Amino acid sequence: MDSESVKKAIIRQVIMEANVQNSRHLVEKINETCFDKCIAKPGSSISNGEKTCATQCMEKYMAAWNLVNQTYMRRVQQEINSGTFSS
Amino acid sequence: MDSQATVSQADIERLSDKDKADLRQVLAKEEQRNFVQQQSHTFTEICWKKCITSNIKSNVLDSSEGNCLANCVERFFDVTITTQKHLSAMRNQAGH
Repeated sequence: MDSESVKKAIIRQVIMEANVQNSRHLVEKINETCFDKCIAKPGSSISNGEKTCATQCMEKYMAAWNLVNQTYMRRVQQEINSGTFSS
Repeated sequence: MDSQATVSQADIERLSDKDKADLRQVLAKEEQRNFVQQQSHTFTEICWKKCITSNIKSNVLDSSEGNCLANCVERFFDVTITTQKHLSAMRNQAGH
């Protein structure tokens, strides 16, 4: 491999690992949150209502994460522009 | 494993100075992106508890939930900054 392709391979691998890590973290949080929200009293089997709740909760949690991420990045940019972090 | 070759120690030693510098830059940016994503996990957890209080009836956020989440992140940020400022004021006071 020449230098250029080594560089590209490293970057690709680092980004891939970070993305895997991030989605694992998200799934973990979804399981915790949605179990809490949807399984109020664990029965002997999962009900259809609980399943529907779990899938809706999952999509909702992802939407919440995206909104939080967007809001957070916008705010960080705003603080950088106004010099909050520079002093 | 994917089709692309994996990077060995020998490959790394073959990196030019320019590519090393490029890599450092990319990795620093990547680290920043990861930090923001980690923070997003934390904030989503905190703000979900505050804002999604009723039972799940749909797979989308309604407008009041969305507003609450955005406000929650902004206010969390405010508290962080306020704490930081007060902390440095206390530190200055203690110094006198």
